[in-house]
Amino acid sequence: MNKRRLGLGRAARWSLTVLFLTLLLFICSALSISIGSAKTALIDAAGILLGQIPGFKQVFGAWWSETQEVIVVQLRLPRLVSAILVGAALAISGAVFQGMFRNPLADPYVLGIASGAGLGGVAAMLLSPSLLPIGLVYTRPFMASVTGLFTIFIVYMVARTGGRVPVLRLVLAGVAISSLMSALTMQLLFFAGERGHMALAWLFGSFAIVEGKWDYVEVAAPVILTCSTLILLFSRELNIMAMGEEQAKHLGVDVEAVKKALLTLASIATAAAVAISGVIGFVGLIVPHAMRLVVGPDHRILLPSSALAGATLLVVCDTLIRARIMAPASELPIGTITAMLGCPFFLYLLIKSRRVVI
Amino acid sequence: MCGVEFAYDAVKALDGVSLAVDEGEFLGLLGPNGSGKTTLLRCLTGILKPKVGAVLLDGREVLSMKAAEVAKKMAVVPQDTTTTFDFTVLDVVLMGRHPHLGRLGRETEKDLEAVQRAMKLTGVWHLADRSINELSGGEKQRVFIARALAQEPKVLLLDEPTTHLDLNHQLEIMDLLEKLRAEQELTIIAVLHDLNLAARYCSQLVLMSHGRIRAMGPVEEVLREDIIREVYGVEVEVRKHPITGSLYVVPLSTMKSRRAAKTKMRVHVICGGGTGTPVLRKLVMEGFEVSVGVVSVLDSDYEAARALGVKVIAEAPFSPISDEAYIRNLEAATEADLIVVTDAPYGRGNLRNLEVALRAASQGIKVGLLIDYKSFPSTRDFTGGEATKLLRESLKYNNVFVANTVEDLMRGVNLKGERAEPRLTSEASRL
Repeated sequence: MNKRRLGLGRAARWSLTVLFLTLLLFICSALSISIGSAKTALIDAAGILLGQIPGFKQVFGAWWSETQEVIVVQLRLPRLVSAILVGAALAISGAVFQGMFRNPLADPYVLGIASGAGLGGVAAMLLSPSLLPIGLVYTRPFMASVTGLFTIFIVYMVARTGGRVPVLRLVLAGVAISSLMSALTMQLLFFAGERGHMALAWLFGSFAIVEGKWDYVEVAAPVILTCSTLILLFSRELNIMAMGEEQAKHLGVDVEAVKKALLTLASIATAAAVAISGVIGFVGLIVPHAMRLVVGPDHRILLPSSALAGATLLVVCDTLIRARIMAPASELPIGTITAMLGCPFFLYLLIKSRRVVI
Repeated sequence: MCGVEFAYDAVKALDGVSLAVDEGEFLGLLGPNGSGKTTLLRCLTGILKPKVGAVLLDGREVLSMKAAEVAKKMAVVPQDTTTTFDFTVLDVVLMGRHPHLGRLGRETEKDLEAVQRAMKLTGVWHLADRSINELSGGEKQRVFIARALAQEPKVLLLDEPTTHLDLNHQLEIMDLLEKLRAEQELTIIAVLHDLNLAARYCSQLVLMSHGRIRAMGPVEEVLREDIIREVYGVEVEVRKHPITGSLYVVPLSTMKSRRAAKTKMRVHVICGGGTGTPVLRKLVMEGFEVSVGVVSVLDSDYEAARALGVKVIAEAPFSPISDEAYIRNLEAATEADLIVVTDAPYGRGNLRNLEVALRAASQGIKVGLLIDYKSFPSTRDFTGGEATKLLRESLKYNNVFVANTVEDLMRGVNLKGERAEPRLTSEASRL
């Protein structure tokens, strides 16, 4: 057995994996941009994307037209970037929750944030604008994040016992309060009648709202990027916590502090994601799970891989929706697509994999 | 630690526990379930915060130190080694280096060396690439011990390290721990449930009961029959093993079943041909005062009686029962509270044993016959009917009865051992 495998071997494998996934994301992004009412050649799309990197145009020159760039950057890029951010945020949060709860079936919504944010968003859309102090454009994401985080806060307070937050109580409280929030949301939708349809569509997740607007992205991007980066710092500790909280404490991990930090970061990232696009299911559950089968349970590679894979999945799904492949008349909610695409792939991995996952 | 108290809600799990462990000791924490030994261990490692009292490691309070600081000195091997995710063995052992690395530290050659050393000591280096969930119980336990060793601790704590292991793995682990203690100068504290394992390997024992320390000190001071009786409610015999030289505990019976202890009943067993041995064992375990007679010195019942330390009236081999032996047998029988006659074959040589039984019956002593009366004449009677006649005679008394097993016999007996008035019944056989 080669001793060196730990040092260079693993770092090399991990770097290659990340590189490969980044490339995959780039290609899917370029494809996504090239599709639309104003057709753009793939090579031009790729160039425009690369051109966003500072200094690229100076070095390589631009082989695409100015008009194309404007169309893409103004119209399609916000949507693309949103999809990437949301996909990454959901996947990385899902991985964090799965590791912390030592349960491969956990997802970012397990603490009730989705149902809470859903309630806030729907309420914002259905209540009269005059009741709310902020302009409607910002109201919904704002309300959604606020109610989402508030829900998690309640769940946290309910679950806390004697200075510690046992994981089981968190999950149970999350389930209980989620149900309440969902029930309230359903009632709002029922009483809304016709207007409820739009709210429902948002609830299932959509990037349509982001088309042509950079406002959401400008707010959400720093939040998601910061949270994700900070989460990555806890990778090794997350590995140890995945063995068990008592064991982690015995191995020198400040369990309660790490739990609080990770829960907060993952919740904020998820809240930001939900605020942009509504509740997109499946990504936060299946992407980390599938990536674990591919790259292994070590969070130092699992977290970045999940982020990249989640982003790629959402970009592909959103592209399918924008291309009106499934429903020519209007846009399908993206949540319905993610499951359809993601599930067969996961089943394939499950069948192929000889390793015991659960 | 001094005067530690800890309570889960209203129940005091630990009450006034004071304990000092010296360097290099192999301390065994023993006690029945619920005695508080695991709670004590969790207080020692800082998982639980005692309501009263403190736990000091090298003079400093464990709870005042950061988790990483404690982890550099003290390592814990958990009882439960189930792992949700598929980490490799090497990954798991590498986690033991975390206290030395901190959150942002990177693993270096030095860490890999420490891990390799630990894994070679525990014999799991060849498993490094395997998934932890593929290993057997014993291998997993050794991996977790390796992880603890990778922390380079001074104190190693183990929570029931041998509970789920096969016998060979149990010995493997304990041998390994002893080796580590000696070579690596570790202090070992282990919660153990197996008294004999603890007696063999530990230098000091702590026996807990109901949240308190009942006994503490070297093995011979703690593993005493009276103390074990008090703590576990079991009557035991503590012996020194001729080969291993260590003390070992033999459970005899539980306190509940020792009915005779209260009554000090005397039982005289008339047996032979090996039929008495199981009966003698049961009676001695139940605490009766037992005597045996008359058996030949070559009879296995004689050996059993001698081994059990029971009074036995013997006769020379191949000789019929002499008058002397007969008289002594009669004395023993009439002094007893109960006579048990076993299903031995009766020939001219030991026919007089049945005479003794009959005589005792006529004096009102309870006589229990562990005999299959129906088949007796054809299978056990080698006296041409004399033995059967004696049996029939004795069955006329109402203080003589037949039973299938010793337990049935005991159940039928009035434990006060009264002597009943001998009465003859009209029916010769009541069955």
